[in-house]
This record gives sequence, C-alpha cells and structure tokens, in this order.
Amino acid sequence: MHDNTIQYLGEQLIWGKLGNIAIFVAFASALLSAVSYFLAAVNYQNDSERWRKTGRVGYWINTASVLSIFGILLYLLFNHRFEYHYVWEHSNTEMRMKYILSCLWEGQEGSFLLWTFWNAILGNLLILTAKNWEAPVMTMFALVQVFLGSMVLGVEFAPDLVIGSNPFTLTRLHPDFVNMPFTQMPDYLSKIQGRGLNPLLQNYWMVIHPPTLFLGFASTLVPFAFAIAGLWKRQYVEWLKPALPWTFFGIMVLGTGILMGGAWAYEALSFGGFWAWDPVENSSLVPWIVLVGAAHVMIIHKNKGISLAWAFFLGITSFLMVLYSTFLTRSGILGDASVHAFTDLGMMRQLVFYLGFFIVLATVLFFTRVSKFPRHEVEEHLWSREFWMFIGALVLALSAFHISIFTSRPVINKILGTNWAAASNEVQVYNMWQLPFAFIVTAIMGIGLFLKYKKTEPKALFKKLTPALLISLALTVLFSILLKYGVKDIPYMLLMFSGLFAITANANYTINLLRNSNYKIGASIAHIGFAMILIGALVSTSRSTVISKNQSGVDLGKDFPNNENILLPKNDTLPMGDYFISYRGDSTSGVNIYHKVDYYTADNKRPGAKAFTLYPLIQTNPRMGNVSEPDTRHFLGKDIYTHVTYDSKLQERERERVEGKKLTDGDGYSIPMEGTLGVGDTVFTSRNFILLDSIIPLNNAAKRAELDLAKEDIAIVAKLRILGIDGRNYFAEPIFIVRGSFVEPKDVTLDKLGLKFSFYGIDTQNNKAKLKIAERKDETQFIIMKAIVFPGINILWVGCLIMVIGTLLAIFHRVSKKSMDISA
Amino acid sequence: MKRIHIILIVVIAVAIGVIITSITSASTTVTFDKAFANEGKEYQIKGVLDKAKAIEYDPIKNPNLFAFYVFDKKGEERKVVFNGTKPENFEHTDTIVVTGKAAGAEFVASKILTKCPSKYTNKTGPETAQEGVEPKEKEFKANQ
Repeated sequence: MHDNTIQYLGEQLIWGKLGNIAIFVAFASALLSAVSYFLAAVNYQNDSERWRKTGRVGYWINTASVLSIFGILLYLLFNHRFEYHYVWEHSNTEMRMKYILSCLWEGQEGSFLLWTFWNAILGNLLILTAKNWEAPVMTMFALVQVFLGSMVLGVEFAPDLVIGSNPFTLTRLHPDFVNMPFTQMPDYLSKIQGRGLNPLLQNYWMVIHPPTLFLGFASTLVPFAFAIAGLWKRQYVEWLKPALPWTFFGIMVLGTGILMGGAWAYEALSFGGFWAWDPVENSSLVPWIVLVGAAHVMIIHKNKGISLAWAFFLGITSFLMVLYSTFLTRSGILGDASVHAFTDLGMMRQLVFYLGFFIVLATVLFFTRVSKFPRHEVEEHLWSREFWMFIGALVLALSAFHISIFTSRPVINKILGTNWAAASNEVQVYNMWQLPFAFIVTAIMGIGLFLKYKKTEPKALFKKLTPALLISLALTVLFSILLKYGVKDIPYMLLMFSGLFAITANANYTINLLRNSNYKIGASIAHIGFAMILIGALVSTSRSTVISKNQSGVDLGKDFPNNENILLPKNDTLPMGDYFISYRGDSTSGVNIYHKVDYYTADNKRPGAKAFTLYPLIQTNPRMGNVSEPDTRHFLGKDIYTHVTYDSKLQERERERVEGKKLTDGDGYSIPMEGTLGVGDTVFTSRNFILLDSIIPLNNAAKRAELDLAKEDIAIVAKLRILGIDGRNYFAEPIFIVRGSFVEPKDVTLDKLGLKFSFYGIDTQNNKAKLKIAERKDETQFIIMKAIVFPGINILWVGCLIMVIGTLLAIFHRVSKKSMDISA
Repeated sequence: MKRIHIILIVVIAVAIGVIITSITSASTTVTFDKAFANEGKEYQIKGVLDKAKAIEYDPIKNPNLFAFYVFDKKGEERKVVFNGTKPENFEHTDTIVVTGKAAGAEFVASKILTKCPSKYTNKTGPETAQEGVEPKEKEFKANQ
C-alpha cells in the first residue's frame, strides 16, 4: 500500500487541490442554478424574479469554475506536471507544444470538460437573450451542467460506486499504479516521462475538430431546451421563433465539425478516405441529420401552423441522439465495433442514467401534452412546399434511423444476447440505403423552393423547373461519360442527376431572388452546398481507383486479388497509374520517417519528366505503435492519395527488437538459411531460384594448387545454377574442403545477385550437399505503398464551405429584425 | 385513406426493412468450429494471436498476402490468411478480431482489428496495461 510518510520531491499539489475545489463548486453551483431556475419557472412563492437571479448567479459561478478547471488543466499540461495522471497519460515533453490543446481533449475527462465549456458559453448567451424563456430553458442547461459536472467528479460513494472520473488524480495514486515500485520513490517525478499524445492526434485538424464538434453537440441543447420549455410552459408554438436561429447555428457548426473529422481522417489516417461509416463517425452524423429535419419542420410550422408534433419530436430527438452517441462512444460498449471509441472508464451506469433521465423527461412531457397541441385539420395540398418539406424531413428521419440501428448492434447484442457484428461489406449495405434517401432528399431540395406554400400550379412549376432539369440532365450525361459510368452504375447516375438538379435549381432560384433585390438567399445557397457535398462524396467514392497495382507477386486467382499494394525497391522505377514512380529513400525528422517517392510523367510507356514528389510518412512511436500517415497530391479535379503500408527497414528493426537478436551479419547479409540438397534439387530465395546441377570432386590440379591443397585433402564442388531476376543464368561453385582433419569450406559470394553460398557439409550416403545460403539485406530495402486516386473530392470541401456560408446567411436573416418574411 | 396514412405505411415499411437488413447483413461473432462447419459464410472471430508460431509474410514474393495463427475463445487454433500487407506492430497484437470466411483449412480474413496492450512503456516510468484510444486498436481491410 501507499506509504503516507514518503515526502515526494517536486510535486505541485496545490493545482490539483484548486482544480478539485473548482470541480466541486462547478457541480454544486450547477445544481443550485438548476433548482433555482426550476423554482423561478414554476413561480415558487410567487417570487420568480428572485429565484431567477439566484439561478443566474449559480450559472455564472458554474461558468467561472468550468473556466478555472480548464485553465488549471492547461497549465498542468503546458508545464508537464506528470504527477497528474491525466497529464502523464496524454502528453510528454517530446511532443510539439502546438498540439497541447489536443492533449486536453484526447481523454474522456477533457472532452467532457470541453462540452461543459461550450454549454457554459451558450448558457450565458441565452441568459442575455432568452428573455421570458430564461427560467425554463436555463433549467435544462443547468441540469445538463449538473450531469456533465458529475462526469469529472471522481467521488467514491461506495467501493463499487464511483461517480465520474477525476482529471486531477495523481499518477502515484491512480488505481493502475498504486502498487508500482515507483510510487515508493520520493524522487519518482524526476524519472518519469509522460506516455504522450496519440500520434494520430498530433494533427492540426485535431486541434480544431473536437472543439467544433462539441460546440455543435452543445448547440443541439438549445432547441431541446426550448422544446421542453414549450411543452412545460404550454407555449406550444412560441418556442419555435427563438429556437430556430440556434437550430441553424447547430446545423452549421455540427456539420462543419463532422466534415473536419472527415478531413482529419483523410489527411492523417490511412484507412483510405474521409468517411468509413464507423460507429463513432455515425454517432455524430445522426444528431446532425435529425437537426436538419427539425429545422425544416420548424419552418413548416412557422409558416403553415402544421406538423407541430414533428417539430417537437425532431427538436427533442437531436439532443437525445447526442446523449445516445455519448453513451455509445464512452461506455466501452462499442469495444470491438469501432476503432475510435474512448476507453471505458466504468461510467456505463452513469451514462445510462443520464440518457434515461432526459428520455423519460422528454417522453413524459411530450405525451402528456400532445393532445393539447393546437390542430389544423386541413390536409396540405400535394403541390405545396410544406408537403414536400415534410416528406424531406421524414426521409432524413429515416436516414438517421437506419444509421442508428446499424450503429446500435453492440447495444442490441447486450440486450438480446445476440452476437451480431458488422460484415465486411458493411459500407455497401450503408450505401444501399443511404443512396436512395439522398436521391429523394436532393430531388425535393431542387423542387422545394419553387413550390409555394399552400398550393402551386403544377404546370407553372414544371415550366420554372425546365431549365434546371435540362441543364442537370446534360451535365449528368457529360459526367457519366467522363466517369465511365455503365449500366450497373445507374444508381450513381440517378443520384448524380438529382444532386445536379438540386444545385442548378437552387442556383436558378438564387439568381431570381438577387434579380429582384431579395437577399434571403441563405436557404438556396445552403442547399447548393449540401448537394455539392453529396456529389463530391459520390464522385470520389464511386470512382476512387487504386492505382498501386503490384507488378511482381504470385497471382492467387480471383479469390485473392493481390494487387492493391505496390512493392517499391529503392531506386527502381515502376509504372503506376498515369505515372512512373521511384522510391528514393527515407529521411528522418523527429519521430517522422519520410519516404521520398518521385513521380514522372509517362512518355510512350517510358518514364518522362519529373512531375512531383510525395513524402508519405511513418510516425514512429515505440510506446503506442508506429502509424502511417498519407501524403496527397492535390489537383483541381482529383487527388492522388498515397500511404506506406510497409517499410522493410522499420520492420527489420522492429523484428530485431522483438526477437532480441541481430538478423544480419556484419556485411549486410542475412543469417543464412541451411539446407541439404541432392543433385537436381532446387531452392527459392526471396528473389532467386537456385538449382544444384552436380556435386563433383575437385580434381583440376591447377585449382587444387590455387587452394593450396595437399594430396590427401578432400575438395568437393557443388555446381549451382541461379536464375536471376533479369532472367539470366548465373553460376556459383562453393567448395567443401577437408584439410587434414579440419572442415574449411570455400565460400562464394555473388555480389551482383547479393547471394552468399557456403558448402559446409556432405551427406556421403545419399550424395547430398549441405549448403548455407545468405542474402544481402541492404539491397532488399523497399517500401510497400498504396495509392488511390479520388476524383472530384474538392467538390465536397467547396460544398462544405458553401453550406456554411448559406447557413450563416440564413441565421443572419432570421436574427436581423428587418427580415419579417419567413421564406427559409 | 388520407395521404398521411399512406406516408405512414411507407415509413413503417422502410423502417421494418432497415431492421431486417441490419440482421440479415450482419455477420455473427462465433468460434472457429462454427465458421468451418459453414464454409463460405462470413463470420467474425474474436481471439488471441499465437505468438509462438511464425507470422508468415514475405513482401517480396507477395506484398498482399499475410498469414498468422489465432486461438479462438474455445482454444481452437486456426491459420488465418489476410489479403493485404502486414500491419505495423502486428507482433505486439494481443486480442484480435477477424472477419471473414473459412476456406479449406484456413480462415480467409477480409478485415482484421488488432488490439495491442501498451505494456512497452518507458522503463523508468509507470507501466500500464490499460487500453487506450486509437493507435492500440486498429482496423485493416483486405483488398476488395
């Protein structure tokens, strides 16, 4: 056990104490704020105003505490205070300081803090702007702060009931380390180094992706809080107006956050793409899709007074899906299903309680109030904007439902005791559902804005849509030819068409608005951006081509298409795709090993001029494992994305470390393989094919003299024929010699082939030769690389930018007072 | 029938379709005996890498063929063949999840997920067997 009498040297314990005080104050003040705001909302003792003020003060104290926790943790990280477990676990002194922020949110505790931080900020903005809504809305905010605060408490109520995981736990007191010898050393601090930040997270996208994503998560709480407040205070309609701009804000921020994650995956990970339908990726996408559906139904209701129940349902569900995704990614339940999930910190029960609390609260409120909703009995017209917007929102909800069900398999397994797991063709199954959903949504996006509320004359509508339809049809044909879409690609062509139609129709609509000096172009611009994202994803994934076909290698038939990775011996020039490429060697910079690969244009099937150089790298990290990071050549219309899947030098080094012995002799030859060969027997080395032609005594007098052999000495020659990689025959004649009573083989080295032969023994009974064959290792230095061409991926990134601009414009018009019209 | 009813029926039908495909398209986590009894059907196997046996990978002969031996939960051992390059640090792998089909005496994996215990920390620093995020868990897909 830990000895209390030890005086540890150099520890700064004051920061942990301050941090823990801040954590406790944050929790307590959030609780105070929640209770006070609740009492204000129910006008307890007819003193709503006083309770509201107390609620505010509570929230402000909470905000100050959260900022303090954040500040202290940052201070500890910046100063490498490894006496704190969180600092030890997520940073070290070798890493670059610009990634320190990533350390803060690498762990569960830090990312909960990040979420709390954004809730604090958004809560304060709502205190300033929510007016009459403040008390009920802030009750929800403060409640969420209570729950999030509890996640970092780390208080042990009973041996088996720890609430939260504390970021200020001392390393030497951490459960993993209590009995370790170092905890008994007073000067342990001078001897330990941090474990360091996951190399994959040492990327600038990882500095900005989590804060953006968590701001998005935090902003889904705003429509939720307003919807709950609306139900609670029976103001079924009034909540929509203040909630709508925040919903747009959430769409913009969360959408950007998700795509930043995609950009990180594309740039830093080597799974080959920006999206893999991984459960963790999915669980941030689902709340976004629901939020988009919610915003549109809210707009329908604002304009037509219908679909109110759906506005409540989707507005509430988005936040609940954020909670659900928190549960999925942090409870450890995804374990074998995802590569991104957080470590299980034993918070399963807490997370289930958190999720359950808000689900029950929302469900009970919703079903006790739904019968009181104001109703409009009129059925909407078929050719009305509200009808198609509603259908669009429904399809979005279905899309979210599909992704959720697929992502929830581990949860279903836990409940039903089944053993379902993702199949290897999971991505295709996702696409099979999502492609038709995307088709319908984009088609509706194209028609939507040309429809009027109430009723539109179909004839006039189609007349208006004709230019967009024709242009998009022509473009679809053009792109289909360029991308070589065939009959089996008809689903792609359909989505291409509906996507292009959405773009052209919305562009047409935007131009019409601008002609009439109407600047409410946010919606149509955002639609263009979204359709571009879908088209960029469609083009780049449907026509991504692996160009790194392997040239050598044994063909194993169609069950083993073994041609996705290319082997590049150093300085050989090989054809790949439209280029000739040559691996020129590696260079080391810090922990990174860069592999220089030159690209030459193909000129009449021969290498031409040098086009460019890429440096795919491997980040070495003995503690966490090496990771390969891609390097990508960006062109306007396509990307060439390459990453090293194997580096012979590194692998050799690794094997020597694991096996604890040298694998080469001093001359750079491998430890030889040994074998007994009869005449006519063959042996393969990694590059050559060797045949033993004959075993004959050495009788040639001149040669015997050259070897200084006495008459009674025995000398036997093994005549070997070697088939080189150039197709030519080479010969080697190692000699077995017994001089007096000593065996003295005369070895042969073939420099050109990098082979060394030793005839070290003889099996006289069967007339077989015992041979050692060594291969030179330095010649075999090579890398194996995978290269993928992604066409049109820039459409996706540009689309993201356009969508953000469009959403910003929409928010601007909603918030600015001049905007009285409500056509979104 | 009102239009909203038709829409609801369609929505419910799609939702049921989603649920059904989530089951039919899934592979199940089983042990080798089941996978080899149903050759050609896709399964997922969770097991442990046999470190006593050699990991077979000769990139010069074929950079896209890689084989190793895995014990499943019942202790049965099988050779697993993976159609791709050998992942970095594969030697450190402890728990391994392979998705694929039995073929003859071998299990042909199309996807492998490795989990390395990060026990090889700094000698003077604390050692831990705690599982962490990303780099210790990796997923590798075979060539399609």
